[in-house]
Amino acid sequence: MNFKFIGRCESLALNIDHFTEWTGRIVSWMTLSMVLLTAIIVTLRYFFEVGSIALQESLTYMHAIVFLMGAAFTLKRKGHVSVDIFYQKFSLQAKALIQVLGTLIFLIPVCIIILVLSWDYVINSWAIKEVSRETDGLPWVYLLKTLLLLMPVCLIIQGLSELIKNFLLLLKYKKNKSCGKT
Amino acid sequence: MLEYIPIIMFFSVCVVLMAGYPVAFSLAGTALLFAFFGNIAGNFDMAFLYALPNRLYGIIDNATLIAVPLFIFMGVTLEKSNLAENLLNSLSKLFRGFKGGLAISVVLVGMLLAASTGIVGATVVTMGLISLPTMLKQGYSPAIAAGTVCATGTLGQIIPPSIALVLLGDILANSYQQSQLSLGIFAPKTVSVGDLFLGAVIPGALLVLMYVAYLFLITNIKPPATYKFSAEKAKQEDIIQILKSLLPPILLIISVLGSILLGVATPTEAAGIGALGAVLLAINARSISLDLVRQVAQKTTEITSMIFLILIGASLFSLVFRGFGGDILVESLLSEIPGGVFGATFLVMIIIFFLGFILDFIEITYVVVPIVAPALLSLGIDPVWLGIMIAINLQTSFLTPPFGFALFYLRGVAPKTVTTKDIYKGVIPFIAIQLVLMVLLSIWPSIATWLPSLKY
Repeated sequence: MNFKFIGRCESLALNIDHFTEWTGRIVSWMTLSMVLLTAIIVTLRYFFEVGSIALQESLTYMHAIVFLMGAAFTLKRKGHVSVDIFYQKFSLQAKALIQVLGTLIFLIPVCIIILVLSWDYVINSWAIKEVSRETDGLPWVYLLKTLLLLMPVCLIIQGLSELIKNFLLLLKYKKNKSCGKT
Repeated sequence: MLEYIPIIMFFSVCVVLMAGYPVAFSLAGTALLFAFFGNIAGNFDMAFLYALPNRLYGIIDNATLIAVPLFIFMGVTLEKSNLAENLLNSLSKLFRGFKGGLAISVVLVGMLLAASTGIVGATVVTMGLISLPTMLKQGYSPAIAAGTVCATGTLGQIIPPSIALVLLGDILANSYQQSQLSLGIFAPKTVSVGDLFLGAVIPGALLVLMYVAYLFLITNIKPPATYKFSAEKAKQEDIIQILKSLLPPILLIISVLGSILLGVATPTEAAGIGALGAVLLAINARSISLDLVRQVAQKTTEITSMIFLILIGASLFSLVFRGFGGDILVESLLSEIPGGVFGATFLVMIIIFFLGFILDFIEITYVVVPIVAPALLSLGIDPVWLGIMIAINLQTSFLTPPFGFALFYLRGVAPKTVTTKDIYKGVIPFIAIQLVLMVLLSIWPSIATWLPSLKY
């Protein structure tokens, strides 16, 4: 195979990993903000008897950003739980093959279907610039719903990197095997 | 044949999961394949899938689930800042001079730690690393030491504020409404996460009490030959010192729990304050740094995202399952089981027990409970009791050789001197204790339902 092409794929995977790692790191600070914001909400409610719907909704927004924008980061860090009773005993080659097949058959189709199904839902929300149902709520529901599109897109991008990395791993094994024969 | 497609789909997922690809995508992906081929064959209407965006937005908009990342933040902080380790050291010093003191301290610390993280793997690994070497050094037999750590690690399923109960409470609340509506009750009663927490208090306490009693008996009546015991008790001034160091973390957990149970705070508020409290404790113990906060934040993001992605995968799975008529099938199967309500519940519990060998509580809560709970609840079962039974049942499943999760996790961190046989032998008494509690709960459901009933 063309070595230049392989080199390009490798650097693409590297760049994607870099991108995902940094989005994840930035998003993860949102968890600390959630803790602090909850403390503020509780203080306001119990000591000053002030309830703010806007603050409550900011908490919802942060939470959504954490688990939706953290999905690709978690994929990169291999944080998505799997049943590893047998997997841990497989050879590295078999593991790489499972990752390639899983990405192609499960991850990417699932993300595409979420993207396709959510498209109109999000577009409709943008069309009316949907706001909160509550009178004092935040006016950015259309942005919140957009996360439903951003999550699968980020996952597909990171999925591509996983695909490249595991595919190259398989190629390497194949090459080593044929080298061993000669 | 066609009406059994949902069952075939369910077992296909179980087989697919064995390959070891992440659960969230395997669940959704397998369901999607079934939907795709079902659509080609004309047995599946793709229109069922159009409910997905609304379902996903429902997950975003769900106020109860915001408690999940906050509780995880609290647990990870307690773990990473060594607060749990220090707590164990102080407790075991306090119990010095009492036979079985260390083992009992392990159960008590494990109870606090498990309650805050609620992830079986994390607790078993942490407790295994902190306490197993110390227990072996004190001459506890490998079986007793391993059994104690495994059993303690699974306590997080049942001791509030466990994440398992938050997730279960959310699912059961929906199922309860659904079952009442299907029975024609249009002003349905509700069940909340708080109710489930309240319901878990007495069974959880009973469980810990039985663990402690067992460890006390075995170390006093028939201690292992190697058991080294020094009758030297802790000095008075030491005790005051130890109590001082024990007070803050215990106060933290009790205040978090108390505020939820008394109905003062919502689980989300209590979790947020608990997380802040854990950070303050770490600052107080001077074991915090910016780097540690960064690690905690990133770990919290990973675990949160992992849980919610399974929830998203499971929503797609359940839409397809319903599209094939799975809910109707399960309901009719369960109502035809001989032995009525008892038979149906028993069967569900057995199935959940075996599924516990391959799936963690998150998957079972999101995939199995929404399928079976509405059917069981319309047979008249109390939702709180059902939730507690499921939690204890899963806990037992995670402990049971040869497939229990807790055993694998411990095997991963245990020294070579502890054989796998030791681990198996050590958990058997604890499994017996679990079974006793489940029998007690079946005979007297009020063990679980009494406290929540006082609320009204």
